[in-house]
Amino acid sequence: MSTATSSPAPASTGDNSRRTAVRDLLSSDRPYGVLLALIALVIFFSIKSDVFFTGANLENIGRQTTLVTIMAVGMTFIIISAEIDLSVASILKLSCVSAALFMNDFSDNWALGALVGIGVGALIGLVNGLLTTKLGIPSFLVTLGMLGVAKGIAFVITDTAPVLVDNRTFWAVFYEGTIAGIPVPIVWTLIALAIGSVLLHLSTFGRKVYATGGNATAARYSGINTDRTKILCFVLTGVLAGLASLIFTAQGHAARPDFADGLELDVIAAVILGGTSLFGGRGTIIGTLIGSLIIGVLNNGLVLIGVSSSWQIAVKGFIIILAVALSKRR
Amino acid sequence: MTAQQPLVDLRDITVSFGAVKALRGVSFDLRPGEVHALLGQNGAGKSTLIKVLSGVNQRDGGEVLIHGKETNFRSAQDSRDSGIAMVYQDLSLIPSMSVASNLFLGREPHVGAGLVRHRTIHAQAQKYLAEQGFPIKASARVDSLPFAYRQLTEIAKALMGDIKILVLDEPTSALSAGEEEILFKTVAEVTKRGVGVIYVTHRLQEVFRISDRVSVLRDGRNVGTHNTSEITMEKLVSEIVGPGHERMATDTLSVEEGDRRSAFQDDASVRSTAAPVVELRGVRNSRLNGVDLKVRPGEILGLAGMVGSGRTEILETMFGLRKADEGEVLFEGKSVRWRTPHQAIAAGVALVPEDRHLEGLVLEDTIAANIAMPRLPHLTRAGLFSKGEAQRRAKKAVADLNVKAPGIHTRLQNLSGGNQQKVVFGKWLTPEPRLLLLDEPSVGVDVGARDEIYGIIRRFARNGCAVVVVSSELVELQLLCDTLAVVHDGRVTTCVRSSEVQGEERLHHLVQEPAR
Repeated sequence: MSTATSSPAPASTGDNSRRTAVRDLLSSDRPYGVLLALIALVIFFSIKSDVFFTGANLENIGRQTTLVTIMAVGMTFIIISAEIDLSVASILKLSCVSAALFMNDFSDNWALGALVGIGVGALIGLVNGLLTTKLGIPSFLVTLGMLGVAKGIAFVITDTAPVLVDNRTFWAVFYEGTIAGIPVPIVWTLIALAIGSVLLHLSTFGRKVYATGGNATAARYSGINTDRTKILCFVLTGVLAGLASLIFTAQGHAARPDFADGLELDVIAAVILGGTSLFGGRGTIIGTLIGSLIIGVLNNGLVLIGVSSSWQIAVKGFIIILAVALSKRR
Repeated sequence: MTAQQPLVDLRDITVSFGAVKALRGVSFDLRPGEVHALLGQNGAGKSTLIKVLSGVNQRDGGEVLIHGKETNFRSAQDSRDSGIAMVYQDLSLIPSMSVASNLFLGREPHVGAGLVRHRTIHAQAQKYLAEQGFPIKASARVDSLPFAYRQLTEIAKALMGDIKILVLDEPTSALSAGEEEILFKTVAEVTKRGVGVIYVTHRLQEVFRISDRVSVLRDGRNVGTHNTSEITMEKLVSEIVGPGHERMATDTLSVEEGDRRSAFQDDASVRSTAAPVVELRGVRNSRLNGVDLKVRPGEILGLAGMVGSGRTEILETMFGLRKADEGEVLFEGKSVRWRTPHQAIAAGVALVPEDRHLEGLVLEDTIAANIAMPRLPHLTRAGLFSKGEAQRRAKKAVADLNVKAPGIHTRLQNLSGGNQQKVVFGKWLTPEPRLLLLDEPSVGVDVGARDEIYGIIRRFARNGCAVVVVSSELVELQLLCDTLAVVHDGRVTTCVRSSEVQGEERLHHLVQEPAR
């Protein structure tokens, strides 16, 4: 990146900027506490359960965390820009049933179907962004409304029934295949993380997102189009929710509008756990990854050590509060 | 009345902030039923004195006597308990609630079970307002009231309880002429009941209008206390400005003798024919009433005038934050209709805003990130942020502007006010703008950094940039500017070369008594 453009500069400058880039990627303002929490959880579950720290189970966690992680990448942008999106789970529902219905009714081309799913996600994100910035409605309300609208439409167009997807390529591309031994859902997660990292930490767009969330007035007075920046964050989240919906569909060989309720809370929790400030201006992709791994490890580990599903919900909530409380103390 | 003991008696108060002595032994007293005006330039110590009285600042030495008893306020609550009420410029009302609810906020009369009876509150509030002579309806929502009435509500709220001492800090700065009258009447009404009012202001005419006595502070010391009926405006102005100011101004001058007056005046004949960088022709909008103004390359133009006169709005109109509803804005000879700062910045305009925390900087970001902010389009290579170039620019800005910081990755919140302000200038260093707009460029900046900032401004001008400065400090305008425009009520009333204005006193008079 930077070193390429400043090649004539003294070597020390290059080193410096390379070191800074590494620092930016690996650190956030306060992810260390959460990283320790993750390690503590892993150790705890490894002691309590024989199966937890095995290759198969870790791969399991990776697969199970996919949806949350991918959507959390987008949510990181939105929260850094000082907005929120409560509708991601509903975007996922409407995207997946749209893709499935399209493949059943119009074309069994998996790529076109995927494009429809992602396109629907992008469109909903665009609407969220436009309503938030152009009409000045707080994004909390816009996306709370959209949560219902998108979910309702998904129910209407499917008659609340699952839509089967019978397309082996689709299954393989989004869930069942492997690349170099790595299951594709994890590959997709890594791609989302990589794109998110480059956009947030290396691109000019990322600078605009931080500035917009850090101080929207100062950003505007510096010539940054804060409205467009926020809209793009919503669209990015829509696209990623669309991608997540394809993985979700391939996993069950069907698009189910009745699943994934409340997933938005896991997504938001992952982002906040990862050190992103709810007030905007701060946060990192690596932090978000740690945050969603904590959610994934909890979901998985609590089952393995035999905590009842009702208790799981309470324990998860408690640990989220605890982790955020710890990370608040500097 | 004068035979009574004073409500407030401050004796020989000293206050220091680190090495800075804000008050060097100030005495001040307030008698029952009088309005005692407190005058002085920014930094003279007015607000520090008020904060000692309100318990916000602790004194290092001296005595505070309230109702004749020595006291030592440790908090704002202590002060309030002693019967002192402060009304600040920023309003502390809840806009969505009624006047009555605001008056009783936190002390609602309960009717068992913690329930609030709104009818009782309204009745009690209306009775109180009528008794005290406030022309306000208790049932009105605060956000439906004109500004003056909100301010009155604030005063009414401050006077609830057993209040004998009322402090008004620039109460008229946001009021129109008609609204001021309402406020003055209420103040007169309040003093009739024996309340003493300390009235902090910059507007001398108000002093003569409503005060009984007037005290002037300068450089943290008393200059004089007079009965208002026995003093003239000339005398007050010279007390505020001080005898040393001419010399002080010259001192600063000699330091930068060569820099001063930019190159603009040397070859004024050439420059005055140069095409203006920006020109306003009869510009009107909600806050401007037909502004005509020209700024040429290398010229530093100062906008003098009261707070609320439209100075800031002129800058905002030049920066794309306000549209000209009527009239024309010409930039480098071409008529422009900017709708966003983005367009103005792209054309070569830069703004150093009045409130650097709110409008200028992202405080939790680093120096490098802040300096890159307005130049992101220049710092993008194939969509990626060119961090190396951004850091190079930040380093150059930090070195050129002498920003005192551990490094370019220091967060802005860890810098002093002066260094923060230098970073705001640093945002616009590369490439240099064609037009630089400055709104109170030295507010909250210590003296040393202020001189450096003046140097920075002159350097921009020497490089051919047109500069417009808004400042409430008239010395600053005289030091910096080639040309001065007095703004009053959304119009430029006077435009003079600053060399034609002899002494700060003359400028004070121009601002206080704008040409009619």
